[in-house]
Formats: sequence, C-alpha cells, structure tokens
Amino acid sequence: MTAVGTDGAAGAGTTGVGTAAAGAVAAGPPAGGGAATRGAKAPRLEATGSLKALIKDYYDDLFKAAAEGRPTAWLNVGVPCEFFYAMDVFPFYPENYGAACGAMKLTPKLSAVAEAKGFSADLCSYIRTTLGTIFSGEGPYGQLPRPTVQVSSMNSCIAIMVWWRAVERHWGVPTFVLDTPLVRETSEGINLDYVESELHRMIAWVEEQTGRPLDQERLREVVRLSNEGKELWAEVLDLRRAHPCPITAADIFTHMFPMVALRGTPRFVEHLRALRDEVKQRVDEGFAAVPGERYRLLWDNLPPWFDLRLFGELAEKGVNFVIDTYTQAWGPRYMGPIDVDDPLRSLAGYMGAGFLNVQIGRRYDLLAELVDLYDVDGVVFHSDRSCKPFSLVQVELRKLLQERKGVPGLLLEGDHNDPNLFDRERAWGQLESFIEVVDSHKQG
Amino acid sequence: MVGPGGASSPVSSAGDRALARLRAVGADSRAELASIKERTGLMAVGYFDSYLPEELIMAHGLIPYRAIVEGREDVRSMEYIQGYACPAARDLLDQALRGDLDLLDGALFSRYCDSLRGVYAVWDSEKLTPYVDFVRYPTVVNTGGAVAYLAKEFQEVSARMAAALDAPADGRRLLESIAACNRKRALVAELAARRASRELALSGADYLAVLVAATTMLPDEFTTELAALLAHPPAGEPGDAVPVVLSGVTFDNVALAATMEAAGLYFIADDLSTGSRWYGVRVETSTLAGGEGSGAYGDPWEALAHAYLTRPPCSVKEPSSPRADHLVAQVRRSGARGVVFYLTRYCDSEQVEWPFIRDRLAEEGIPALMVEGEHKRGGAGPLATRLEAFREQLEQIGEER
Repeated sequence: MTAVGTDGAAGAGTTGVGTAAAGAVAAGPPAGGGAATRGAKAPRLEATGSLKALIKDYYDDLFKAAAEGRPTAWLNVGVPCEFFYAMDVFPFYPENYGAACGAMKLTPKLSAVAEAKGFSADLCSYIRTTLGTIFSGEGPYGQLPRPTVQVSSMNSCIAIMVWWRAVERHWGVPTFVLDTPLVRETSEGINLDYVESELHRMIAWVEEQTGRPLDQERLREVVRLSNEGKELWAEVLDLRRAHPCPITAADIFTHMFPMVALRGTPRFVEHLRALRDEVKQRVDEGFAAVPGERYRLLWDNLPPWFDLRLFGELAEKGVNFVIDTYTQAWGPRYMGPIDVDDPLRSLAGYMGAGFLNVQIGRRYDLLAELVDLYDVDGVVFHSDRSCKPFSLVQVELRKLLQERKGVPGLLLEGDHNDPNLFDRERAWGQLESFIEVVDSHKQG
Repeated sequence: MVGPGGASSPVSSAGDRALARLRAVGADSRAELASIKERTGLMAVGYFDSYLPEELIMAHGLIPYRAIVEGREDVRSMEYIQGYACPAARDLLDQALRGDLDLLDGALFSRYCDSLRGVYAVWDSEKLTPYVDFVRYPTVVNTGGAVAYLAKEFQEVSARMAAALDAPADGRRLLESIAACNRKRALVAELAARRASRELALSGADYLAVLVAATTMLPDEFTTELAALLAHPPAGEPGDAVPVVLSGVTFDNVALAATMEAAGLYFIADDLSTGSRWYGVRVETSTLAGGEGSGAYGDPWEALAHAYLTRPPCSVKEPSSPRADHLVAQVRRSGARGVVFYLTRYCDSEQVEWPFIRDRLAEEGIPALMVEGEHKRGGAGPLATRLEAFREQLEQIGEER
C-alpha cells in the first residue's frame, strides 16, 4: 500500500480534524484565567492529544477487522453506528476519512485521480477524494479495505447515495439505501412509520449479508453508552455559552470524530467525559480560549478542513466562533437520547428529522435560538460548494436573520475539502470587513 | 444537412394544423396556461419534476402545469441562492422572481434533487405562490413499503391542497384524471415509437414541443391534437441526418435540439426524465373502481404511487441501474448510432452516473458524446462544432462497418 500524507504513521493525527486543529491552536504560552492579552495563543486541549490515539486505534481496528475477514460497513454520517456495533460489523465513515484527507491537503491530488476517470471537478470534494483513494490506492492509510457492505441514508444529500453507488460499481460491494424522505420540521405519522420500517429492512439486509444477527441485549448496552456520551457532548456544547468561551471552533470540529464513528463504545464515553471535564474546568477557571475575546460569532456549515488555521488567525483579532451549526447535528436538538426500550422508533425519529433532512423553517429556528443562547454577534455562513443541502438555504437564512433579529451575516465562499475552491485572500478581506461590521453593530 | 419534419412545412392538413398548435404551445407554454385559466376559470398549480403526478392536482379540479426550463440569461435568483445550484433549478426561480409564474396559484415540490429543495426553501420562505407544498417523496423506488407510504403521502398532500385552495379532491375526478393522463402518455409513447421506427418524421425540436404541450394543455385537448397528428402525419423524409438518442434529466431546450439537427444529428429517441422516462408511466386501472382486472391495487392512490415509482428511474432514485438498460433499449429500438448525453452542470447524480453510462455504452459498442451545459439557449457555437465532429465520427464508424 502506498501511504501519502504529512503525518507519517497511519492514524497519527488524523481524521484530519485532529491534525489541522492542532495547528490552529498550537501550543503557546499558558493562558490561565480570562485576563490574557488578546493575540496570545491558548494551549490546546489535552483531550485533543488523546484523540490521536483514539483515531489510530480506530483505523487499526478497521484494518484488523478486514484482514481477519470480519464484516465491515461503509456508512454515511446519517446512519447510526449503534446498530453496527451491536451486530459486530465494524462501521467506517468515508466522510470522516474525506475530512482527514482534506486536513492533510490531499484532496487536489486524489481528486485528480477521480477526475481522470471522468468524474466532474464540480462534484462534492469528499466524493472526489475518496474515489481518488479507491481508484489509486493512495491516501494517508494507503488503500482502504474493501467493505463487506455499504449503507447510505437519504437524510443528508443525494450526493451520498451516488457516492456509494460509484463505490458499489467499482468494487462490487453490496449496497443498501435507507430511505428517509425529506420532511418539513419533524418526522411523525406515516413518515415516522416509514423510516422505522426502513430501519427494520436495513437490519434484515445487513444480517443477511454479513451473517451477524442483531443482538437486542447488545443493542441496549450500545444505546446506553451512546446516550451517555451524547449527554456529555451536549454538556460540552452548552459550556461554550460561557463568557469567555472555553474552546474554539477548531477544538470542537476536531472532536467530531468520536461523535460520528464511536458512539456506543466505552472509549467514546471515556473520551467525551475527559473532554467535558477539561472544558468544565476551563469554564470554572474563567479560561478564555481566545484571550481578550471580543467578537462572539457563529459558524454555519462544515469548516474548511484544509485551513482550520483560519480560526486561529481570526482569534488574534479577538474573534471566537463560540458556536456552530455543524456540531449541533449530533447535539440534543437533533440527536437526543435514544429510547433504550424502543431504539428503532426512537432512532427513526432522529433520522427522519435529521439536521439536513428538515426545511428552512427549522434551520432558521436553530440559528435564532443559538444566537440568543450564545450571545452571538454575527454569523459567518460558509457557502460550501460541496454541501448543497447545507449551503443552498444560506442566502435566505442570512436575510431572515438580519430582518428578524438584526444579526449581521457574511456569506463566505469556499469548500470543506478542496483548497482550490477557496480564495483565501479574498476570504480574509471579507472576514476583516465583516468584523468591522460586527464591531459597528455591537457599538451601535 | 436537414433533419426530418422541418419547421417550414406548410400548414395544409389536419396533421399540420395539429403540429402547428402543439408547436405554438411548446414555444410559449405560459400563454397556453393563461388561455386555459381564462377559458375555464380554474386555478393552476405548478410543479417542477416529472415524479410529481399531474393526476394529484387534477383530482382537485385544478390545472397542473410543469414549468419548463427556459434558459434565459438572468441573475435574479443569485440574490437568493448560490450559483452552484443546478442551473435548471435556478432558471425556475428566475422565472418566479421575474413574475413570469404569477399565473400559478400554487406550487408543488418534492426533493427531486438538492438544488430543487433549495429552490423550494426560497419559494416557501418568500411565498412566491399563494400556496406552496412539499411531497415527502421516497428515493427508494423498488419496495412495497415505498408504494404504501407514497400513497398515504399523496393523500395527506391532497388534504392540505384542498384546504389551502378550497378545492376538495373528488374520487371520481381522480379516476378520470388517471384515465386521461394514461391516454395522453400512451399517445406520446406511440409518437415516440413511430419516430423511432422512422414511420413518422418529426424533428427533435418538434418532439420537444410535443412533450412541453403534453404537460401544459388540458389532457383531452392535447390528446385530440396529438391523435390528429398521428392520424395525418406531416410529410417529411428522414434525410441523411445521423440518428442519435438524447439522454439527460429535464430537457426543454428546443434551441439545442435545433443545433443538433443543424449539425446533422437527428434526435430520434430520448432518455429524458421529461421524455421517455415519463411517458412510460401507466397507472394500472383494471382493478380500480371495483374492476376485476389483473392489477395489484384497488386503491387509486396506491396505483398512482406504484406507477410513478416504477417508471424508468432518474439517477436521483435508487436503484438507478435500470436507467442504463432503458437508454440502451432506446438506442436498440430506434437504430440510433450514438448517444448525446446532456450533463446538467452541478447535477451531482448525473455527474456520477455519466462515467458508468459511458462505460456501459462502450461495452455495448455505442459511441457517446457528453455535453455539459446550463440549459442556456444561446452560445451554441463551440457546441455545434463538437456535435459536427461527433456526427463525422458516427459516419466514419458507419462506413467502416
């Protein structure tokens, strides 16, 4: 296998999320207390360091499972990993892998491989990145192991389904699409019944394909662990309300990995508890992740994984993104506790009304609520070329937020993985101007 | 080189008159809608993807209108949605923002694709029509669960539509609508089959006009005109243009069809979501209204859901593989010598589908040309050159064989 990348050994510092975040909040002088001078860099979270080992173990487990002939599954983030842990089918999330490659700036190279096969450069950069790996065998871990099965759900985007389709056609992997029709606000009535029936259909299919029956008792235990960890995640998100905010956007984006891939495992709970404890301690001590925090902003959409440094550079201007919408997708508003006694019904509700499976009304309500809860001064809408469902309502959302709440917003053109689609100089100029607008708004 | 059924044919027979009428509707479908509204006094509900059944709207005594992609240069939509949204979806938003769709009393959306859902969000938020609704459509089309669910969903949408527009659905009208739409789609299928067999010469541009007229005119009026055209086909010779199949999603671009024909390619059959993947919808009626036929459904909503879910799929549906079979069948049936695949820019599903369609066609020995575009009417120069080169390639292959 051919490994390319900047971090050396497979797993070290990846999901990308880890690597780049570490750069964004690189070790600087300790800044105990909230009185640090603006511009000084805060130390990174200790939990970020332990995340690296977590990620390495995860990838080691993936390769080991594949080498031993145990079943593995490619899932998109809308498919609950809880079922797969309960069936002992190792869950792997190519979106997470895509982000890792993005953070290592591998997307242009891998994308070129996919484009040479006829896939458009306009396609989602996660798709181009991952296809680049499976077509060439190149990437931070070399060739990825061919999964036993693939499952995609429709509660994020059409692109996911066709991405899996491309893998299915290339590798001949049995593939299942779990239908979750787009809803307005909630999944109820016939929609909820349908999504639940789809979960039953998926479980039966995975059981048949892998020969691994779903053990209900095991599922209850997995669900219990999942709930415990998610509750800790909710606490971390809530702790960001503090003045000053204890962590940065780069910190929280870094910690997406366990939320996506490890829910329902003991190490998930252990990691989240350590993270919660550390963040809480920071709040108790009045610690400022951005010393001299002056502007409390909200980040909408995925971050540019290849440029999390951006958040660190903005911190030098007193900017902290104290909250974001992306991590809310795993928060209590969209993925609350699963009913241990009726997990399918409960998960059907969360999947049916998942973060990207609802319409603009609910998206607006979330933004408005977060603006109030986190004392947000302005919103940066990252117009992410590779995420249409997230992005294509942002122009309207910005308008509504300005009209109804008087909160200024900036539409920042970019991409979550492809640096060629992000004009950094232009973006920086826009951000500087926006900070002036926010400043004037605060004073006005 | 001239394609068959040229636009300059004299209007002399019943068939010519019917064709002239269908062409006129195809050229200005909104004028036809205005005329229908004036004549009938009925309200109109627009829709934008061919998976939404006209029958659902007609059951309420309302006029269904599929808004076509016009391809006019406009930037109004850019104030509401990003430029990397599908250009066809943006085009619809442009039309609404220009006020061109003010004739509509309502609009019905589904999640055909992620761009169209973005347009729906703006439409709903800005209340671009008095009534706006959304069908929670399944993506997976090959399960009994999807049929049962969609049938119920149709009924829920129907109840909301009735309340919003004070236009209750009527069971008998639903059955009549199903029958009327079946008749018109069957006639369009006959037209397509006779074109493909070269029994009837009708240019690609005229064929597109018929498709637009099919979802604009009142079904009985359309059926009358098309029946006249089929009974008295206009004179015309296939000529020496090279027959090809046009593949894509929504496609209303008469100008591009004319460009193809000017390049010596005869668009003899199609694999379009608004063409052969739509007119093949046939709602099984033999077991409806107490009938004792062999159909699987006694409930018209279920029969409707089943018919739309089992049509040749678009790439936004799962499974999509029958689409490639459908395309190959169109080529074989028509004797086309190649395929022009019109790839709508920023269309994720077609972008992923294309390499596999290309490879499948290559396996079948069918040459293909991919043309990426934004449905614009102008700027055909470079495209014309590529189409001409493709025609020469097809001619050369023909000679070698």
